Parts: sequence; C-alpha cells; structure tokens
Amino acid sequence: MGILRGTYLSYIKAEKICFTYNPGKPFINCLDIELKTGQFCSIMGPNGSGKTTIGKLLVGILKPSSGNIFIDGNDISKMSLGHIGSKVGYLFQNPAFQIFAATVFEELSFIMTLKDYDKDYIESEVDRVLALLHMEDKKFSSTFSLSYGQKQRLALAGILLNKPHYLILDEPTTGLDILRKQVLAAVLKELMNMGAGITVFTHDYEFIKNFGGRILKMDRGVIIEDRIE
Amino acid sequence: MKTVLNDFDVRTKLAIAAALSTIAVFIQHVYVLCFILFLSVLLSFLFYGNFKKTLRATRRLWYIFFAIVVLQSIFIKSGSQLIAVGSFSIISAGGLLKGAEFLLRMSIIIFTATIVASSSYREVVQGIVQLKIPYEIAFMVSVAIRFLPILKEEFSDILTAIQLRGLDIKKIPFKKRLKVYSYIITPVIAGAVDKAQKLSIAMETRAFRAYPKRTSYLILKLAARDYIFLIFLFIFTVAVFISYYLFGFPGRIL
Ligand SMILES: Nc1ncnc2c1ncn2[C@@H]1O[C@H](COP(=O)(O)OP(=O)(O)OP(=O)(O)O)[C@@H](O)[C@H]1O
Ligand SMILES: [Mg+2]
Repeated sequence: MGILRGTYLSYIKAEKICFTYNPGKPFINCLDIELKTGQFCSIMGPNGSGKTTIGKLLVGILKPSSGNIFIDGNDISKMSLGHIGSKVGYLFQNPAFQIFAATVFEELSFIMTLKDYDKDYIESEVDRVLALLHMEDKKFSSTFSLSYGQKQRLALAGILLNKPHYLILDEPTTGLDILRKQVLAAVLKELMNMGAGITVFTHDYEFIKNFGGRILKMDRGVIIEDRIE
Repeated sequence: MKTVLNDFDVRTKLAIAAALSTIAVFIQHVYVLCFILFLSVLLSFLFYGNFKKTLRATRRLWYIFFAIVVLQSIFIKSGSQLIAVGSFSIISAGGLLKGAEFLLRMSIIIFTATIVASSSYREVVQGIVQLKIPYEIAFMVSVAIRFLPILKEEFSDILTAIQLRGLDIKKIPFKKRLKVYSYIITPVIAGAVDKAQKLSIAMETRAFRAYPKRTSYLILKLAARDYIFLIFLFIFTVAVFISYYLFGFPGRIL
C-alpha cells in the first residue's frame, strides 16, 4: 500500500473478455474494463445484469472463454488463486462461504498456522486486522453467534490479512441496517486512505453516495454508463 | 434431446438399470460383461442419445477407474505373466482380466444410469412413489436431486474462497490435508443446515406433510410397449443367470 493520492494507476484490466454460462448464448461479449488504484469505483446494475459474473471473472474464479485479464500487469490465467488473493481481495455476496473456523481468532489465524508462521507474528497480524475493522472485542467469540454484518466484517478481515492492494466487494450492503452500513463505509474509507483501491458491486445508491468517485452502470452484461461523481 | 425410445415409462427404465447392473455385479465374466456393456450403450443411445454429455459429466470418474484398473492389474497375480522384470511379474493375465472386469462393470452402471436420467426428475420421483416406495424416501430423493447442483456450486465457491485467502491446497503437506478438509467442510455443512431449515419453514407455511396417501398431478401409466419391453427384459435376465449358473455358459477363461 502507500500509493500517492490523486494518481490513478491501472490495476485490474480486462481486455475484450467474453463469457457464457450456457453454450450458444453469450452473456458477456467482448467487454473492456479497467479499475484503478486510489479511486473508489461502484458498479451498479439491476439483478441479473452480470455484476457477480464480472467480479468473479476479474479475480479468476470464472474463466473467460476469450480475452485477457491482467492484475498489476500479470496475466491472471498464469497466476495461482493464492497469488491473485495477495493482490486483490474478493468479498463474496454471501459471507457464509468465506468463514471456515469455529472462533474468530481461529478463523483469522488458521491459514498462517497451517503455514507454520511464528506465533507472535500470527497474534500481531490478527490484532492488526481486528483493529482495522473495529472488532477487537470479538476476538474470542464463536463465528456462529456473529450477526450478519459481523460475519461480513470478519470475512473482510480474513481478506485483509493478505494485504491486498485492491478490494472487490460483491453487494456488501445487503442485509445491513443503516448503522452497520455507516460502520462499513467508515472502514472502507479508512482502507482507501491507506491507499487501497476499492470496487463495490451494488445497487445501493445511498451507500455509494458516501464515496463519490467513479460509477459504472451495467445492464445485461454491457457497461452502459461510465462517469465520475 | 428426443430419441426413439424417450417416452417409455420411467419404471421401465428403472427396471432396465436394475436388471443390467444386477447381471454386471453378479456375473463376473468378461464376455458377459462386454455383451451387457454393449446392450447398455445401445439402450443409452436409444433413450438418451447424448454420449458427449455423459462422457464429459463423468470425466473425473474415468480417470479414477483407469487408475484402479492399473493398480488391480499390478497387484493381482494369477494366470500367465504378460510383462515381467526378471522373475518378478508386473502384469499377469489374471490381473489384467480383473482390471477389465472392473472397468466394464463401472461403465455398465454409468450407462444404465444415463437411461434413467433421460426422464425428468419429477418423473423419476413419481416413478419411485408409484413403485410403492414410502413417500419419505421419494421426497428425500427429490430434495437431493433438486439441491445437488446448488451444493456443487457452493462447494466450488468455498474452495475458491479458501484458496484466495492464500492457501495453496496442492502445496499443503499430506499430514495437514485432513485439517484443511475440515475447514472446507464447515461452511458446506453450515450452508446445508441453513438451507434445510429454510426449506422446512417454507414447507410448514404451505402445510406440507409427508402423508403416505397423496394425490398427484402427474400419474404415470405403463403402456403396452412398456409391458412388452419388461417381459423381454425379464426373460433375458433370467436366461442369462440360468445359462451362467446352471449350464456354465460361457465357461471360465483362465
Ligand atoms: N452458475 C450459473 N449458471 C447459469 N447462469 C447463471 C449462473 N450464475 C448466474 N447466471 C446468470 O447470469 C446472469 C447474471 O448473473 P449475476 O449473478 O452476474 O447477476 P448480478 O448482477 O450479480 O445479480 P444480483 O444483483 O442478483 O446479484 C443472470 O441472468 C443469471 O441468471
Ligand atoms: Mg450478484
């Protein structure tokens, strides 16, 4: 992290990507998209317009049938998922898919433990991300008893352990009340200030009004508007 | 895909699957197995007509089968040696035969399954119900068929999510694999339990009960062609068993 504010560097770039779920019916046809660091970007569109699909394509969860995607200049078809995860954090629409362990501490530490990292280092890393997301008091809670919004922040914490330069969040505000949305907005602003680039897929205009920045609108797999607010 | 025999009753198809796979399991004879495989491929083609899809859907299984065949051929030693290093036999005729039998049997089961799969899942469930199998079981089958694709997609999302967190599953030492699997299973089970709870609430609100007596919009009726086919199938199956067990035909190869 630590990019000069005001300079927008291209970080994720998709060139002429095509994608389809069922053969014979192309869903995304020759789409170009470029996401930059230091900027808040929102991608809006109605249900089924292809937001989740594009998000998953950009981090290599789905593979385009043609076209290339680059993250920080690297072709993602040649990167492992772990390598992609260290550059771009992706928050799934449903946080339940991203929570693997029984307690918050274990959730945030198990991958480092599996990799035999030093105990003190693990402890300090876990404390770091918990502080970022204002969840210090939940360190030893059970993950099952967390509220929806807390689960989402925990999933985000897990992603931030990798120190990604860019965050892609798929519908992070569904199921959050006004207060929780404000908490999330504050957290995202802090991360922006630390230099991370953020893209949010959403149809919640109230939420993205907090940030301004770039707004892309899409419909049926096509970008129909690209403007800066 | 519509094929010649597509509108046979699903119970006829179930009977074919049951008869052919029973023969395949009980009669371990390469010639018989080859013949039954030929029959099931032929029937699968007539009923289903989509080989590419079958092969693609079962691609992983074939790799596993092939590995098992190779292992079996190596570890079972009987009959004459075919390949040997010095006096140490690597592949023997008996081992090869056992491997081939296994592969044939598995292929038969997969192809007969595609015959049943040519009916819609609603028909399969109704077929099971009309075979007087308790509705609880039929209902479980229908729920399983309905939710399997969703679980599969969720599972792949979960697997991706854990790898994006920086865990390269292939690089984890063998001893820790079990631990990794337990982490992967947690969200899978949590998701399944959650879905089961929501489903049961949704069913309650619609006053659904697994009553043994139910009326159904879809009623399957066996047509004349089904009866004729079933009679042929019965005679064929009995004939194969009698010829093999009573008359010892075809005889042993090794
Ligand atoms: N696994 C899948 N198999 C087949 N079609 C799919 C699959 N996932 C999504 N689709 C289809 O692709 C289209 C785009 O879906 P996508 O999930 O990307 O939309 P979305 O903009 O994220 O919608 P939402 O606002 O509901 O999250 C939809 O028409 C959907 O039906
Ligand atoms: Mg979506």
